[in-house]
Amino acid sequence: FNLIMGKEECKTMLDALNKVTACYRHLVIALGSTSDSQNLREELKKTRKKAQELAVANRTKLTSLLKDKTISKEDRAEYERLWVLFSSCMELLEVDMKRSLEIAQDFPLKVPTRHLIQTGMTGSTTTVAARAMSVQNMKYEADSNIDTADLRDLQAEITQVSQMMEEMEMKVQVMKVQVAPWAVEAKQEAGAELKSNMSVGNSSVGSREAGFASICAVIGFFVIVIVALVLGYLVVNM
Amino acid sequence: MKAHFGPAQSGAYSLSRLTSKHKATSKRAEKVVLEMQDPATGVKLQPQRLVITTIPHAITGEDIVQICLFYSEARSFGSMLVALGYIYPIQDHKRLVVKPDASLYRFQTPYFWPTQQWPVEDTDYAIYLAKRNIRKKGILELHEQEQYNRLHKWMNHKWDFIVMQAKEQYRAAKERKKPDRVVFDCQERAYWVVHRPPVRTHTGMFPSLQKTFMIFTQQSIMRPRVKSSVSIGALVKYCATYKGHDPFLSKCLPSNPWLTDDVTYWALNMPNVEIPTKMRVERWTFSFGELLSDPRGRDDFRLFLKKEFSGENLAFWEGCEDLKWGTAATMKEKAEQIYKTFLARGAPRWINIDGKTMEITVKGLKHPHRYVLDAAQTHIYMLMKKVSKHVSSDSQLEQNARNRRPSLSPIIIRQQEQEQKAKMAASAPVDITQLCRFTTPVPHLAVYSGITDPPSANASPSLPFLAHTPACPSPISVALDSTSASERRAEASEGESEGNPEARASAGGNVSKSRVALSLRRLLKRGCTPSSMFASLSPKCNSAAGTSSRIQPITPDEPSQAPPRRIGNFFQIKVDIPPECRIYPIESEDEDEENRAISRERLGTKEIICPWESLTPQNGTG
Repeated sequence: FNLIMGKEECKTMLDALNKVTACYRHLVIALGSTSDSQNLREELKKTRKKAQELAVANRTKLTSLLKDKTISKEDRAEYERLWVLFSSCMELLEVDMKRSLEIAQDFPLKVPTRHLIQTGMTGSTTTVAARAMSVQNMKYEADSNIDTADLRDLQAEITQVSQMMEEMEMKVQVMKVQVAPWAVEAKQEAGAELKSNMSVGNSSVGSREAGFASICAVIGFFVIVIVALVLGYLVVNM
Repeated sequence: MKAHFGPAQSGAYSLSRLTSKHKATSKRAEKVVLEMQDPATGVKLQPQRLVITTIPHAITGEDIVQICLFYSEARSFGSMLVALGYIYPIQDHKRLVVKPDASLYRFQTPYFWPTQQWPVEDTDYAIYLAKRNIRKKGILELHEQEQYNRLHKWMNHKWDFIVMQAKEQYRAAKERKKPDRVVFDCQERAYWVVHRPPVRTHTGMFPSLQKTFMIFTQQSIMRPRVKSSVSIGALVKYCATYKGHDPFLSKCLPSNPWLTDDVTYWALNMPNVEIPTKMRVERWTFSFGELLSDPRGRDDFRLFLKKEFSGENLAFWEGCEDLKWGTAATMKEKAEQIYKTFLARGAPRWINIDGKTMEITVKGLKHPHRYVLDAAQTHIYMLMKKVSKHVSSDSQLEQNARNRRPSLSPIIIRQQEQEQKAKMAASAPVDITQLCRFTTPVPHLAVYSGITDPPSANASPSLPFLAHTPACPSPISVALDSTSASERRAEASEGESEGNPEARASAGGNVSKSRVALSLRRLLKRGCTPSSMFASLSPKCNSAAGTSSRIQPITPDEPSQAPPRRIGNFFQIKVDIPPECRIYPIESEDEDEENRAISRERLGTKEIICPWESLTPQNGTG
């Protein structure tokens, strides 16, 4: 039971990390453009921190699961798949963090003549950040010099992430866990993204739950139709 | 400018040049784009009106052209900006050109700017295609579909992640307001048009960069690969061979000039010194390339070839080198000169290369370039290499016999060198050697069984194997006639095992002419493909490949089967073999394998167990 809980927990955390990574990318894309602002910098900072927390949590969880030698072969394969998901997420995050550092350095905000690229994007990114942080509204409380002050933090965090990724590689080897990323078989086939997933979790295979959900919908539909027929009958008979 | 390397190298070279040029242009472009943002002096912006929404910050093509004139020369700069991806067209998004009319463009966001340090990842492209798949509900364009399928195959292990990330990115994008969403879609699409163009994208600039890159990567895939065990073995062999010759790793005689300030070492090793040092001569035995690259060795080889009436080969090779490394201005004349002297029919120093190579070379000479003679040069090089292998020198054998530790005093070296000088003055300066440990030829095989049909399928099939016909007066027949008892005695006693100086001395005392004959005879007895020798030595005697020979072969033709390949046995052959065993050159080349196989079979009933005969055939590259 513990193991199943562990797996589910892992998947949820991985989904959260995935979401934050996606949102972070959207935010970084807005950097340097006319959507850029103090708020964006703060959003980036907060999202980043959230991503890092999730990363650490995921890593601990996954390594503890993988370390367990008593797990079955299918479980092991599943954990390896999750590990590949996790490391891919981290790769994306690392690249985006480095890029955000670069662009933020090139486009400081607190300069007398700031030339942000007029890309056509003018709206704010607050909803994206809210999605990342899983909150309703974002609160902004940063200093006005966040665009420069944050950069040092960012650099430190980038180093942290790189180190963590290296450690991950090493750990996986030290534990003699042969996670061969290329040997992992994807559960999703081509075009899987087209399937609408009613379920929240993406890292689990959605098809089963989608089937279940559609069965529910069909049953609901029939129930409503029957109720309507009954009512109609009653009305006619009145 | 296209450098004349081989195709893969030229691809890489031009790629690196183009990318560095690219880098400089990118930097410039970025500067200009930033300056264009200035509301006062920058480019004029106008809103783009769509059905419901209005999106600001659009530029017309005309304005781009105008502003580019302001910043640099003409329209090409604007086209460059679009081709690189700093500005993208909104309407005709597949054609990356600047149209000087009212068609609209927009600036690209810094994240999507082309930068050297952030290579364009396939993962990102896969995510983009998955997103597009969602948006278009499964209906992708043809090239997108192809790419999608390809990526699905190659990145299958990551596909779960790609789908996950695509869905999340799609949802995150929906969080933004409609105009921003439209802009983002356009931006992303423009980015991928620049970096993953559908094949028929019309770009104003840099088509060659992509093409060069494609050629380069295709050729990298086709490049042959070597197992690391094999390459490490080669490295070890190289180090072991050259270790003694490195003045910093082992003692150099008389002394290392850097340490003792005594320049004798350099004086002794001048490029054109009269007497080469022992170490230098030993170095020549390492490989044919060493011999050729040392000017003194090359001189010796030249003299040897002159004696064998095949000096034109080396002259041709030198001419080719001259062409390769010479100035571009002189190339055409040089190529013509070489053709007239060596290649044309009836040329004064006609070289003997096979028909196909000649054809290719002559064809290439119509448009001469640096490497037009490469094929012929390689051919001749291989020929000369074969020649060099089968000639041994007596002076070298003497040296083999002696103590070769570097603690020899300079006096002994001087003595040796003087002897060598005397010998060389007396004889053909045949310093080309190989390390022969077993030097006793089998006496009774003085009957020249070496002249048989060449096993044509083996070794280099491109070389013409022409049998020697009796009509041709070859210097070897002259040598054969001068069979003398003294020679045979010398052969019999010579070099049984190391440490037999008397035999050496008597061998050393031989007359020069017979020494040449001796060495050539040894060559023949080894049953090497004699016709190749003849072909190189007697280029005038090009007769049709026939089976006539003056002397009856002892054994019938050899079946052309691949002899057992022994790679890297160089250091494994022990000295403890019976003295009747033949001279086997210790080279790890395959051409000698066939010779050994042939000679072994000739021994027939002799039942000599040579150490390597128990080896099983290996296949391939191991």
